[in-house]
Amino acid sequence: MTEKEKPELFVHGKRLDGRTVEDLRPLKIQAGVLNSADGSAFVQWGNNKVLAGVYGPRECIPKHDSDPYKAVLKCRYNMAPFCSSGEHSRSGPSRRSTELSKVIREVFEGLILTDKYPKTMIEIYIEVLQSDGGTRCAAVTAAAVALADAGIPMRDMVAAVASGKIQEHIVADLGKDEDNYGQSDFPVAVSWRDKEILLFQMDGLLTRQQFEHALNLSISTVEKVKVLQKEALLRSFEEKNGSPRVNLNL
Amino acid sequence: MNKIILPGEKVSDKPEQMPGTYIHDGKTYADVISLYDEEGKKSVPLEGMYLPRAEDYIVGVVCDVRFAGYNINIAPSFNAFLSGRESRDKFELGDVVFAKIAEVDEVNSVALTDARRLTGGKMIEVSPVKIPRVIGKKNSMVNMIIDSTKSEVYIGRNGRIWMSGGDIELTVRAIQKVEQEAHVSGLTDRVKKFLEDEAESE
Repeated sequence: MTEKEKPELFVHGKRLDGRTVEDLRPLKIQAGVLNSADGSAFVQWGNNKVLAGVYGPRECIPKHDSDPYKAVLKCRYNMAPFCSSGEHSRSGPSRRSTELSKVIREVFEGLILTDKYPKTMIEIYIEVLQSDGGTRCAAVTAAAVALADAGIPMRDMVAAVASGKIQEHIVADLGKDEDNYGQSDFPVAVSWRDKEILLFQMDGLLTRQQFEHALNLSISTVEKVKVLQKEALLRSFEEKNGSPRVNLNL
Repeated sequence: MNKIILPGEKVSDKPEQMPGTYIHDGKTYADVISLYDEEGKKSVPLEGMYLPRAEDYIVGVVCDVRFAGYNINIAPSFNAFLSGRESRDKFELGDVVFAKIAEVDEVNSVALTDARRLTGGKMIEVSPVKIPRVIGKKNSMVNMIIDSTKSEVYIGRNGRIWMSGGDIELTVRAIQKVEQEAHVSGLTDRVKKFLEDEAESE
């Protein structure tokens, strides 16, 4: 695509969908949405719809994968054939989904206290039902809520958001068009308490200043995601237990 | 005041041993979604799997009969071993047993002892983190339920409860009530009232 055909992504301080540089798309998180999974979560992030289900710790299959000292973590990120207009039209593993499964697994390998449950496995299944840019961040966000919902012991919680560069402006939470026609895309997953960076990928070019700006923007935007994750978990717990006397510490 | 805390939230500035927590840099943090009592400085997990500990009593199902003993399933995908020498009874596949955990080693292999067969009856599962509330302080909760329903009840720390005789259906409902409302204060009174109301309606 030549320079001329590129859509105007940033006009008068506003982006395509009217957001300012640091606004998130509308984000909705629900915990405990699946009955048969040990833990689950559903995230609607702009036009993204991501469902995460968690099982475990349970018997490790195949047996030769098991580790006598800790639980093994398995993660599958999958895009539904109907999730976008054509680009991901065949189901099953692809180069992209294999990569994302790996990076998402590594996020949680740093968080789950796997040595509590030796010889078992913990499985995270992430299905992208509808995609609109930033699904890996939505997937990490959903999986963290699902793991907490399952009661799997974790050192910390995690939230993720992408920032990037469109027309020389650093913006938070890129949408699909901003991702495709922008200059850089930079997803980051940050742990809640220690602000540890657990996922870090970058596409396109950023100068050192722009990079630092984008990273700081991500870290501050993650706070908004964190609040919604917390709300979702507390809400789900309230509903499940019907308790009137617990203080919702938001 | 009780509040719900999520994994990674600080429970105490001192290192303390509590269920559902871990210690890092001399401070205690929650590792599962828990209920935190700000006055008592105590944290009680609200979700979680069973972690076997020595001296726990469990209700298990015989899932393999071997030459040297039995494999006994004590949690989904978690088997313990009962040596043939440790039990006078002979067990068959599918038998429900009540046993004590003799030891747990560093890789969570579990050895059982003092096993006895539970015949007939009914087995239900509740979340293992709610078992302390089902038992109550000095068995108060379970004794109250048994007094009212006249059932025979065996509670396993692994979340399985076996019962027989008496009003089984009422026992199940009472236990489920305890499980659902485990973290709300005044539980004993509510269960007492529930049992009294049920007794009157009959």
